[in-house]
Amino acid sequence: MSSVTENRLAAADSTTGDLVSLGVIGVATLTFLASWLLLLQWVDETATVAGLSVLKLLGVGLAVIGGGLVVIGVGSRFDYIDTTPSSSAGAPVGVVFGVLWAILGGLAATLLLENAVVLWLPVAVVFGVVGFLASVLPGEDVGSTLPVAAILILLGVVVAIGGVNAGWTWSPDWSSASFPGSELVPILVVFGTLLGAWSAGKAKEGFGAEGRQAGAYYLIGSVVFAMLGVLGLLIGFIVTNGLQTTLTGASLLGGRQTIPFVGLQVAWPEFPFLLNQTGGLYVEIPGVLPALVGTLWLVVGAVSFAVPLGIGAAVFLTEYAERGRFTQVVEVATNGLWSTPSIVFGLFGLAFLVPRISGGNSIVVGQLVLGFMLLPLVLITSREAILAVPDARRDASAALGVTKWQTIRSVVLPAAMPGTITGVILGVGRIAGETAPLLLVFGGSPYPSTTPNVLGGFRFSAQPPFVTNEALLSPASALPYQLYSTITAGVFPKEIFTNTEFGWGTALVLLLVVVGLYAIGVGSRLYFRRKLHNE
Amino acid sequence: MSEIEPTQRTDLAEQRLTTTGETDETTQAAWTEFQFEDDAKLAVEALDVYYGNEQALQSVSLDVPDESVTALIGPSGCGKSTFLRCLNRMNDRIKSARIEGSVALDGQEIYSDGVNLVELRKRVGMVFQEPNPFPKSIEDNISYGPRKHGDLDTGLLARLFGTDDAEEAQALVERALRRAALWEEVKDRLGDNALGLSGGQQQRLCIARCLAVDPDVILMDEPASALDPIATAKIEDLIEELAEDYSVVVVTHNMQQASRISDQTAVFLTGGELVEYGETEQIFENPQSQRVEDYITGKFG
Amino acid sequence: MTQRLPQTREVPRRLRAAVRRRVERTKQRARDYRSRTEDGAIAMDGLVFASVIVTFLSFLAGSRWTVIPVVVFLASMGVGWYRYQAEAAKITTLLTTVITVSILTLIVAFLVIESVPAVRLMGLDLLTQIRNPTMDDPALGQGLWGRNDVWSLTPMMLGTAVTTLIATLIAAPIGIAGAVFVSEIAPRRVREVVKPGIELMAGIPSITYGFIGLTIVNQYFYLEFGTPTIGTYFAAGLMIGIMALPTVVTVAEDALNAVPESIKSGALAIGSTRWQTTKSVTIPAGLSGVSAGVLLGIGRAMGETMAATVMLTHTKGFPSPVFDVFSNYGETLTTVIAFEGGNASGVHMSALFAAGVVLFVMVMLLSVASQYVEWRMYQKLGGEQ
Repeated sequence: MSSVTENRLAAADSTTGDLVSLGVIGVATLTFLASWLLLLQWVDETATVAGLSVLKLLGVGLAVIGGGLVVIGVGSRFDYIDTTPSSSAGAPVGVVFGVLWAILGGLAATLLLENAVVLWLPVAVVFGVVGFLASVLPGEDVGSTLPVAAILILLGVVVAIGGVNAGWTWSPDWSSASFPGSELVPILVVFGTLLGAWSAGKAKEGFGAEGRQAGAYYLIGSVVFAMLGVLGLLIGFIVTNGLQTTLTGASLLGGRQTIPFVGLQVAWPEFPFLLNQTGGLYVEIPGVLPALVGTLWLVVGAVSFAVPLGIGAAVFLTEYAERGRFTQVVEVATNGLWSTPSIVFGLFGLAFLVPRISGGNSIVVGQLVLGFMLLPLVLITSREAILAVPDARRDASAALGVTKWQTIRSVVLPAAMPGTITGVILGVGRIAGETAPLLLVFGGSPYPSTTPNVLGGFRFSAQPPFVTNEALLSPASALPYQLYSTITAGVFPKEIFTNTEFGWGTALVLLLVVVGLYAIGVGSRLYFRRKLHNE
Repeated sequence: MSEIEPTQRTDLAEQRLTTTGETDETTQAAWTEFQFEDDAKLAVEALDVYYGNEQALQSVSLDVPDESVTALIGPSGCGKSTFLRCLNRMNDRIKSARIEGSVALDGQEIYSDGVNLVELRKRVGMVFQEPNPFPKSIEDNISYGPRKHGDLDTGLLARLFGTDDAEEAQALVERALRRAALWEEVKDRLGDNALGLSGGQQQRLCIARCLAVDPDVILMDEPASALDPIATAKIEDLIEELAEDYSVVVVTHNMQQASRISDQTAVFLTGGELVEYGETEQIFENPQSQRVEDYITGKFG
Repeated sequence: MTQRLPQTREVPRRLRAAVRRRVERTKQRARDYRSRTEDGAIAMDGLVFASVIVTFLSFLAGSRWTVIPVVVFLASMGVGWYRYQAEAAKITTLLTTVITVSILTLIVAFLVIESVPAVRLMGLDLLTQIRNPTMDDPALGQGLWGRNDVWSLTPMMLGTAVTTLIATLIAAPIGIAGAVFVSEIAPRRVREVVKPGIELMAGIPSITYGFIGLTIVNQYFYLEFGTPTIGTYFAAGLMIGIMALPTVVTVAEDALNAVPESIKSGALAIGSTRWQTTKSVTIPAGLSGVSAGVLLGIGRAMGETMAATVMLTHTKGFPSPVFDVFSNYGETLTTVIAFEGGNASGVHMSALFAAGVVLFVMVMLLSVASQYVEWRMYQKLGGEQ
């Protein structure tokens, strides 16, 4: 090890150690991905590759990773591989390995001996201590490879020789569920490969500070990759499942539209899932139009209620009110209300607004409740945006002898608009997908055959209250509510779609609406931020 | 708000001397009572400013003449910017600030109850340390003040009915930009965003914006400290030109700049104390106070 | 004892002085307002306020004449805006503040008031009773919701605790890893894609997660792990954890980003690796913000309604042992409100309101804690806030 203590400014040529580590990382990555394929059931556990069942293959993979790590650790210890390890892997690593070893020992004791605390606890403790000491006492190169390798080889061999196979099941007393080998093995392999990649990543950079960096980055990178993968999959599921339903009967030029007065027919895009009623006798392909329009009215109502109130209050609190306990309390309370569960707002709407306004579920109460939910966010974001306007601009305007209100109107508000708009769009995205309060105050028939006619619903009379709107006071449907009804109601009235198919279609439309709003919000924030930095 | 008779002035000055315990400067009252032949544009009497419990200005009295440049110099934290901000009551915008004493503009007290701050600030304009144009077009920056004061009507309704003052606005913008020596550089891009101008141009734009309101007094708070030497020279030339028509009060920490551009200089030293005030030449060549001499020659501050 | 006497006499005098000062200040304010404001503007202010109050009162009373004060309000506001714009603007913003604050207060007050009958009936047992004493053979966790007028929230509180715990165990470590990745590790280009991507994820409606959870996750656990019912605390907690992930990542990432570049550069300049800098400088400096993100994420998970409503079985009771997350029981505070709120009445409704209050208090505590922690961090970093 004496030959490598000199400081290297340039990386050395690739060595045997590098090649082995790269190989281990490669195998680990493949095994990691393969076990996800199994977990997501894209590959059946009975499948075989080159005569070996996939589970056994995973076991072999683990064992190979473990073997590679042994080679690296021993090679580094006896100077066959150039590394710059620290004197110890460090206590945190030791604790992690200690715990892992203890779990392993405990489980083994439970399975092999008997499930009694007297038996498995001492075994677990002994294993834990051994694991801790094995990783802390020797140099970093041995301490962070061999304890991992031992676990991986043990697991790998047990799986590879068929000690744990697809049919094997672990049913502990404390759980109503049982864990079959077909699922347990891939789960264990996922964690095992993460450990292996961490260890090999460290080795590839020759241990030491840089090795620890590489190890940590591999670990974090894989976790984030898995997270993004799962999130991406969710969207993928919705799109693939919903696309067929959504596009049923749709065509770019298949429809016919008659031009008024001329009587000429032209080719016209056709999109029945978006433009048809849901229920009704004569609807061939049921669509989500009533729900779409319902969502639209909800959003319009909530925004026109919450945005003026929120911005006005933000202006008062930031520009007129003296900063003190009052503004602080309002700030803390609004932040708290923004994270208050939506169902609580729904409960309020049900018990307070419904009896006073419509006497039953109605659009206008839905609008108000969603407006209440939106209000804190509008207040928070516009207050932040107003506070972010530099005082220099207010001073400049005041020094020109311009009144406070004119300064607010022509200097502060225009500068605060981008931030406010972005915040409002993000908030609208959230309330457009909100379901819980709608269950209580808004929803009507799950499969309506008419769209709410709000604009045409106004009636004027000489009697108080002079203006009424029947449509606003009736229940309706909205996209998220429709999805909920489809999930729970069970039987879809038309034969063309099954319940689930219609649900996926609705989910896709809802996702497009909400994610579209979010995309506009996030995009506008990026745009305004970039514009700000360019200037 | 105590009204102070001129006769009380020396008493106050003496009183200050005794409280600060400066025994070697017994003649200070005479130095700070520098008189002008004409009436003062701004007359400041026994001005005290406190930020919370901390005193930022100690009983400062000083007269600012018309059509000249008055420089305020001193080390940082000496209260010269605070003093400047008292002259158009911008300190009112700081919640913790408490102001006692009197400031008169053309003989009219600006710290009395009925004073219209908007009117005051129209007559006493201000240019800040950092150029702070609005994120609007050059044109709109200049016409902002007059428009808000209702001198110019360029609103949507007025434009619809054809009663807008487009021509007046144009003339006003050109006049102000010419006066601020910026017209030649920006005349082809009046519609561009003012934030696209260089720092020096932005600062001259801010001066032009201030001129467009047609003030009597222009306060400048270290107007060139954020600028490079060439831009600084342009601003200095401009300040000297402006002194032909306006009373200009400039805060600067740069003594060479003060000696180059100002007609009279006031020296503030630590603790918010006005130590000496007089003709610039005299202050720089033959200061009366030892402390001012030390400061100017670089021994102190 | 002797020293106490003068003090007690002192208190009323001081109180009186304080009241007098307050009155004096109010009078001064009124005088200021009077001298500052034109008579017409004062008239407008008065009209506006009077009409708003009348509107609110007649709305409360359910009067059909509510429209009249509304019209008066609009008219006085319109005229006022035309004549005295600055004053009208100020009064408008003040009014919006008052309305906003009173709406938010109203919601909280109403929740509390509506839950009073249930509290009066049950007392503290509402939150602690785990056996129904009115039953012949009181079994643990059975018949706690509505049998013989016994209403206990304990099964639902346990459900909320279990799902929230599972969600936190998933969202916190992965979320923090994600935040470290986005803010410290990812190259610029990757960050510019990943960050908005994660924010988009935060926008996916919870009912969509619920739908996926119901049709895929629940089925998976039922078929592969042989859970007794379709829908378990574990499956719901897993889904909620995934839902809360973006919140944790976004807030924690903001916190790590807020650590000044100069501090990071300082550590790098003395030759530590980027990971060492992250581990020993950035994360400790941003720790409060990161924990604020986790707290917010927990709050989100706790209040999550739709995914849980759709996925859980709505069977109330205690699993045995308590940590059996695959049992057939499944009800949380949010799901019980969503599921039963539509057709509840009387004490039942009031008990649901009590559930709402418990939720509200928990989430409010979490929110206040996270704000405090975040505020501390910015104080420490000397940021602008």
